[in-house]
Amino acid sequence: MPSEPSKAYDDEALAIQARDMDFCWDDVPLHYIPGRMVATHVYNCMHLLLPEGEKAMSAALAQALPLIEDPRLKEEVVGFIGQEATHADSHGGVLERLVELGLDARPVLGRLDQLLTVIMGDVADERIRHQLLCERLALFSALEHYTAVWGKFFLESEGLSGSGIHPMVLDLLKWHGAEEVEHRSVVFDAYQHVDGSHARRVRMGVLGSAALAAAGFLTLGYLVAKDPARTATRNPWKRYVAPVAEFVGATRDGVIPNMLGFLTEIPVYVRPDFHPSQLPGMELAVRYLAEAPIRHHDAAAAS
Amino acid sequence: MSALLDPAVDLALAGYRGYLKVFAASPLAERLSPPAPVRRTGFDLEVTVAERTLPCPDVVALILRRPDGSDLPAWTPGAHLDVVLPSGAQRSYSLCGDPADLSSYRIAVRRVPDDLGGGGGSAEVHEAIAAGDRLTVRGPRNAFWMVPETSHLFVAAGIGITPILPMVARAEAAGASWRLVYLGRDRATMPFLDELATYGERVVVRTDDQHGIPAAADILDLGRAPDGTLPAAVHLCGPPALIDAARALIRPLAPHSRLYSERFSAPPVRGGAPFTATLARSGRTVEVGADESLLAALRREVPGIAYSCQQGFCGTCRLRVLDGEVEHRDTLLLPEERAESVLTCLSRGRGPLVLDA
Repeated sequence: MPSEPSKAYDDEALAIQARDMDFCWDDVPLHYIPGRMVATHVYNCMHLLLPEGEKAMSAALAQALPLIEDPRLKEEVVGFIGQEATHADSHGGVLERLVELGLDARPVLGRLDQLLTVIMGDVADERIRHQLLCERLALFSALEHYTAVWGKFFLESEGLSGSGIHPMVLDLLKWHGAEEVEHRSVVFDAYQHVDGSHARRVRMGVLGSAALAAAGFLTLGYLVAKDPARTATRNPWKRYVAPVAEFVGATRDGVIPNMLGFLTEIPVYVRPDFHPSQLPGMELAVRYLAEAPIRHHDAAAAS
Repeated sequence: MSALLDPAVDLALAGYRGYLKVFAASPLAERLSPPAPVRRTGFDLEVTVAERTLPCPDVVALILRRPDGSDLPAWTPGAHLDVVLPSGAQRSYSLCGDPADLSSYRIAVRRVPDDLGGGGGSAEVHEAIAAGDRLTVRGPRNAFWMVPETSHLFVAAGIGITPILPMVARAEAAGASWRLVYLGRDRATMPFLDELATYGERVVVRTDDQHGIPAAADILDLGRAPDGTLPAAVHLCGPPALIDAARALIRPLAPHSRLYSERFSAPPVRGGAPFTATLARSGRTVEVGADESLLAALRREVPGIAYSCQQGFCGTCRLRVLDGEVEHRDTLLLPEERAESVLTCLSRGRGPLVLDA
């Protein structure tokens, strides 16, 4: 296998470890960003798609683990798996809460399950299994690019923090965003270690962006269409035009990330010399994690 | 989902399957995606103990260099190093030298008696490592990242000074306004007071013999600016009780200050009874002491065993139980999972356990 000469680490590793969080959805209203139904559903898309997506991502990384000999990367992958597992749990409460509030999003999850079955599907042939794993890692590496970019947005956007969003949901987004920024390089590095094909990275950079955009907008369309506030009115303006205007307004006000990122981030990600550590945001993440509502257990000091 | 969109989703799923047929399952797959793996090395380092000194009677400081004298990996304040001790045990120690000088690392270790919770690691550093010895270390790794701010309060209790020392130097070099509160039993037991003397009044030393046991509120008060505000960042390295007290205080007291504290190791085991765990794959049996976790005992036998948070919420250390009754001390596993699994970092056996490991 043509392999680049291995390069020795010349920098420190960042410890990646799961943190214990406790998010309770019980008192979260249907539109937890007041007056912004569409922006609320943009975040609901994340709450709905992320848990299963992150579980699949953890499973793919667990499959890659035996192929990783480098102890530093191995350690980072184990930490990543732990963080993703707690993320999935924390968003999980939204589905039940939406059903309680009269919005049944279960059909979306049925479709997501079908998609993940294709992504995670395996065969007996070992050569093809390896190729499938490489495709999977390339896909998840591309998706992690977006979570890192959005994670930074959650941490710094004054439009979001000043929107009146329910404080629990804001903390959930910021904590999740901070850990996404913190572990932004792990899937990329695992992909580079196991396969590293640039052609595959470019393909999945484009295809993954398109797939994520399609899944996101289909879910958003579904949630907005089924929203009890919208279905209560017969006014065609309120039913069809107002949500689009609201989406544009929420983007302009910085309440949601700019979805043109699905186009503008592709050239960044596919550059041959790209590495996620070049993305900004680490200081924002470290600062937020110092004030996040983490359940601290009996901590012990160094040395 | 809707009559119009359902066929589109079906089409997309079929497209994805088609894509994988060509790019993963076809004989052309490798040619379409020529592999170019990037492999890194150098997380494990061989070092020589260049110097061994005693900055105070029960603290040993080691200067570590590469045998060939070349530069070590770069690090930032707050970083630590895993040191493999001659017995094979592994311990983490904060780097307390100068991050700009990559020709050497410095660590400092206080001897912690066994009856005070020392696992024997610190005694081994004191007794079994001499100048000239070769050691294997892993890292550096940072779990106590320092974000530079314009104002800082540093609090170090005893050997907790080690990660704080380079932080103080960094704040000073950046021209930040800062203060260090350094706590200890008495001055004779506090290392690096000589190095800190150059900073003058910015360093406040509080000893138990002169000032009594310090309260967290008094310590934070010492960090206040003349206008009464607390600095943007409080970095604290000390015993768990002090960290907890400071954390409870800081939010109401100073909503714009952030508290960073070192969180290194697993919580202490309380009310545990000894038991044995048998590893089914190797047939080996591990004795688990009353005051150690099952994971800690397993790590002695299986050094590479998977674990991460050591506090019962990541689930990485979960193992299948083949026989025996588990005293579950975690809140992570689902009832059906409890029937067959154990989270080794927290949970214990009510008697002998047989594990699938």
